[in-house]
This record gives sequence, C-alpha cells and structure tokens, in this order.
Amino acid sequence: MADSSLGSSGVKVVVASSGDENHPPENILDGNTKTFWMSTGMFPQEFIIRFAELTKISAVTVDTYNVKHLKIEKNTSQKASQFESVTEKGKGTSAGVRLYFIFQLNGSSATHLRFIITAGYDHFVSVHKVNVKY
Amino acid sequence: MVKLRARCLLVGDTAVGKSALSHVFHSDGTLFQKNYSMTTGVELLMKCVNIPETDDSVELYIIDSAGKETLVEACEKMWGVPSLLCLVFDLTSEQSFANCSQWMERVRAHCQGLHVPGALVGNKSDSSARREVQASIAQEWAESQGLEYHETAAKEMENCDALLLSLARAFHSLYQERRETIQNLSPG
Ligand SMILES: Nc1nc2c(ncn2[C@@H]2O[C@H](COP(=O)(O)OP(=O)(O)OP(=O)(O)O)[C@@H](O)[C@H]2O)c(=O)[nH]1
Ligand SMILES: [Mg+2]
Repeated sequence: MADSSLGSSGVKVVVASSGDENHPPENILDGNTKTFWMSTGMFPQEFIIRFAELTKISAVTVDTYNVKHLKIEKNTSQKASQFESVTEKGKGTSAGVRLYFIFQLNGSSATHLRFIITAGYDHFVSVHKVNVKY
Repeated sequence: MVKLRARCLLVGDTAVGKSALSHVFHSDGTLFQKNYSMTTGVELLMKCVNIPETDDSVELYIIDSAGKETLVEACEKMWGVPSLLCLVFDLTSEQSFANCSQWMERVRAHCQGLHVPGALVGNKSDSSARREVQASIAQEWAESQGLEYHETAAKEMENCDALLLSLARAFHSLYQERRETIQNLSPG
C-alpha cells in the first residue's frame, strides 16, 4: 500500500494555486518522489485532491521541501468548496530540509482534501508526494 | 512557461518619489504626477513583467507604502512577507539616503529570515545640479546590502523600465536557482 500511487487509484488534483508547466500538480500523486509540484511565489499556497468516492482515511503523509506550516481541510461533498478544518502542523527547522508531515485523520471520511501551505522556509516550496493510509 | 508572483515592497522616506515611480510603472511610462500628494496608507499596484527570451513572467504586487514617519507603523501592518524590496531615496537629499539603513532594518523584521532580493533606487536624477549623493557611494552601500543599484528620474520616465525588469529578473533567477536545487534533491 505504501508505495502505490494515488493517481492510479482515481485520486486527482483539482485545484492548485501555482503552476510551472514543467512541474505540474499531478506530480504530487504519481508515486514518484523525484517529481514535484512547485509553488511560484507568495503564501498561502494550496492544492486540493479529490477521491473517486467518499473515502475513510486513517492518515495522510506529505513529502515536502521547505514547507514550514501545513494545514489540512476536508469535505464530504461533490464540489471542491465549503471545507472544514482538520488539522495543522508547523515544523521548526531551517531552510533546505526535506520534511515529511504525517497527519492522523483517525478514519474520518472525505471526498476532498485541501492542503494549505501558510508559510515556507523559502519563497518557493515543493511537494513531492502525498500518500493516504486507509 | 511559468508565472511567478512577488510581493514587492516600495519604501523609503517621504517625498522621494515612490508614488511617482509607481505611477510610471502603472502607465507604462506615460504618466508622471507632478503635484505631490502624500501617500497616507499603502497603495497596491499589480504589474506583470515578461522576462525577455523566455515564456516566463512575473506578476509584481507592488506595495507603495507611506514614507512619512508618523504613518509608517500603521502601514507596516499591511506589508505582509515581502518577496522583493524596492528601497528608494532622493538623489538630492543626503538625509533620505542616510535613512535607508533604518528602512532596511524595518523591512528585515518582516522577512521571516528569508533572503529578499531587490533594488536600491536613487530617484530624481534629472535634478543633477542639486545632487547630494554620489553614485559610487550609493552603489557601494547597495552591494553591502545585497541590492542592485539603479538611478531613475520618474519625472522624465527615465530608467523606470530597467528598474522594473531588474526587480522581476531578480525574483526569476531566485526561482530558477531554487528549482535547480529541488531537481537535484536526492529522492526522499
Ligand atoms: N525632479 C523630480 N521630481 C520628482 C521625481 N519623482 C518624483 N518627483 C516629485 O517629488 C514629489 C514627491 O513624489 P511622490 O512620488 O509623491 O513621493 P513619495 O515617495 O510617494 O512620498 P510619500 O507618499 O509621502 O511617502 C512630487 O512632487 C513629485 O512630483 C523625479 O524623478 N524628478
Ligand atoms: Mg507616495
């Protein structure tokens, strides 16, 4: 389970606040940690992923570079709107570090997850992989 | 192709010509405001700059902030975290140049430890007879602060394009550098 790619299981990125054509948000879900989505300036930055159906989630891991503070919201609707806050985490280190955020969702259900990066250790941050434990 | 976004702080003493520069940027060099009207808060201007020889562009969110001492504190609350700095002084006022280090300190307090590239700008280069600040001295100080030095005359719309492009380029090269670093990370 740990290394399967979310993209191949019908999960999609439906919104991303930044975009470099060469580093599209789909890279977050391709299971490959070498490929990434990169923000292109200013905070906050966000992306939203959609599950094929209402899904029970036990935990979410996010593989990032230079992300300082990350917030997760979710909803159970068909639309990517009206989110409720789930959890947030800040990591206290310095710039230039690969950071893994692990969020326990304790089996709560969602159709969308929204990831909001409120601060970074640099002007630009990257997200390499999101993984979900069911 | 990528579109970058940068929050560019435009600061410096009162009456050095920040708003005049901002108007020239906004009007693509067709408009100079002759009558002084003091900025009392912050004014936001969005300007998109294409990086030559690429498909890339930088959207600059320029924050023109009041220079008058008594207004600065209130304005600072609206600065946010800057991506770029444009620090302006008046070439005909030694005092406005001397105050630049204080402006630098103020800005640093908002940078959350990030390196913020940008420019030091000596404005009013048209008034050469009343010049009080030598280019070499300003240049040297700019270098010590990691800023590029430019001289402009908002009144004559001189060098304003070059300044704008240099700000955009500074952010664009930072992006390219960081992208390269990320590309070369060992897989996690
Ligand atoms: N000769 C000359 N005068 C200029 C130039 N740029 C601006 N001025 C004049 O300087 C005065 C002040 O310009 P502003 O742009 O309002 O100054 P500011 O830095 O925005 O001042 P605050 O809003 O008080 O912080 C105005 O009378 C302008 O016409 C220039 O390049 N040459
Ligand atoms: Mg002004």
